[in-house]
Amino acid sequence: MANISQPSQGAWSRLLPSNSATAFHRVSALLTLAILVIAFAFASPAFLSVNNTLTILLQTSVIGLLGIGMTMVIITGGIDLSVGSVLALSGTVTGMMVKAGVPVVPAMMLGVCMGAACGLFNGFVVTKMKITPFVATLGMMLIARGAALQLTGAAPISQLGEAFGVLGNGALFRVVEMQPNGFPKVIFPGIPYPAILLVIVAIVASYMLRRRAIGRHIYATGSNEEAARLSGVLVDRTKLIAYTLSGALAGVAGNVLMSRLITAQPSEGVMYELDAIAAAVIGGASLMGGVGGISGTMIGAFIIGVLRNGLNMGGVSSFIQQIVIGFVVIGAVYIDQLRNRR
Amino acid sequence: MSQTQPAPGAPAPLVEMRGIEKHFGGVVAVNGVSLDLMPGEVVGVLGHNGAGKSCLMRILSGAMAPSHGEIRIGGEVVEMGSPQDARAHGVETIYQTLALADHLDAPANLFLGRELKTRFGNLDDKRMLAEARKVLATLNPNFTNLKDPVSSLSGGQRQVIAIARAIYFDVKILIMDEPTAALGPSETAMVADLIRKLRAQGIGIFLVSHDMHDVFDLCDRVVVMNKGKLVGAHPIDEVHKDDILSLIIKGELPTDWRPRNLEAAQ
Repeated sequence: MANISQPSQGAWSRLLPSNSATAFHRVSALLTLAILVIAFAFASPAFLSVNNTLTILLQTSVIGLLGIGMTMVIITGGIDLSVGSVLALSGTVTGMMVKAGVPVVPAMMLGVCMGAACGLFNGFVVTKMKITPFVATLGMMLIARGAALQLTGAAPISQLGEAFGVLGNGALFRVVEMQPNGFPKVIFPGIPYPAILLVIVAIVASYMLRRRAIGRHIYATGSNEEAARLSGVLVDRTKLIAYTLSGALAGVAGNVLMSRLITAQPSEGVMYELDAIAAAVIGGASLMGGVGGISGTMIGAFIIGVLRNGLNMGGVSSFIQQIVIGFVVIGAVYIDQLRNRR
Repeated sequence: MSQTQPAPGAPAPLVEMRGIEKHFGGVVAVNGVSLDLMPGEVVGVLGHNGAGKSCLMRILSGAMAPSHGEIRIGGEVVEMGSPQDARAHGVETIYQTLALADHLDAPANLFLGRELKTRFGNLDDKRMLAEARKVLATLNPNFTNLKDPVSSLSGGQRQVIAIARAIYFDVKILIMDEPTAALGPSETAMVADLIRKLRAQGIGIFLVSHDMHDVFDLCDRVVVMNKGKLVGAHPIDEVHKDDILSLIIKGELPTDWRPRNLEAAQ
């Protein structure tokens, strides 16, 4: 393997993972995505329309944001089962703030801070109380969901005003033409803000993982925690940062989702953590730690988003969708293992 | 171990460990050990598994906090709270497990925890690769696949990375825990050459080893641990292999023991 995988020098090797196995995984995931898109395009003519493409972007942005945070945690060798609940709690906190008269932007920031605080707590439980990530974040999953339901009395908070809906429903470069009959005609629906947000977050996260010391420490911690510690990596601090970022991104995703609905729903986001984990794993992240990347997770998120959307367009029930996505996750990991065993 | 002050004019010890103890609950892993290391001295640390030698070395490398005792480096009392502290005092360790992150490549492992950065705080991968290439080439000229994850490298290559990581930085005290266990004959010879070279530069080395041949070949002095205690400390020309074995196994010298160098003089 060492002989055939002499990586190319230069700009490409900087962008692509140096490990050829990871690169191969990325290509195969991308190919899967392309096949899905082509298949759905044949099945339903509306699938490739501009509007539906933008819908997919919108739908994927939430999974994508959660997936980015999840990827960082998974690379450290952990897992974050709480992101779905933290998403709901953050969105609800923002909604309550807005309802209480706080302007939208500070309210959303507070919501994100709430998510970050949940993540920090996760990190604290994992590093200082030495509780396995699975159990620690399972606890937070219940705590955050319970808090969101308790705070709102399990009732959605609606009528949050137009400004609250801008993040989820607004779009850049939206072109609208007034027709003579007085009705507006949308010429180009624009790039949705959530999609732009996702791209920005993905680029920043990727930069952090590849070009900053903290990113290297995240990989090292997941690869061999004891070695990282002996090499002078502050392992606990690295994990705290990863969990906090995951919580904060769950907060961002919560705000995007609630903003899109213009309603704060405390019961939103159930099982979203599984979509996020699936996105990361399909994208090549290893639950053993040390392996994974943002570009892979983005592809994984789009595979899930396209699959959901395409099956919806084809009129497949959401129950069947769950079955299909379940098989996709198992299949993706199985193929990955086959390749690594070779 | 002699506790007397060094004669005037003699170099001061690099390391002085005084009354080091380590307890795990009721188990005493290291029991009141005092040990010195002079500049340019190679001290072999021997003892069978569980004798406490790894524990003692881990305390010096900052990986483990002692229950009692003090460590002086260059005459100053130091706190070895973490591996970072130890490195700041010039103590580098080559662990038996090598302590490499398998998914990272050689330069990333070499600089792990001490990454070279550009002006903007980004990782300077180019410079790290160039520096790694330089230092690895001095140890093993055939080392070219620097960008592969270290999991795909041979045992010898991995060992070379672990050694390079210790000597690249400003090392004054080097702890080598079984440095030749994973190596073939030519690489073992390379490590022996390296030890001699480092000794000539005035670096103090603790060599933890099971290999009697290595110990007699390279060390100036041997210390033997048994059940957490230091049971013997002798200049290498004072003892035979059998004496060392007796210390390791029984914790005492043979009853009829006499210093080898004096024997020869008679």
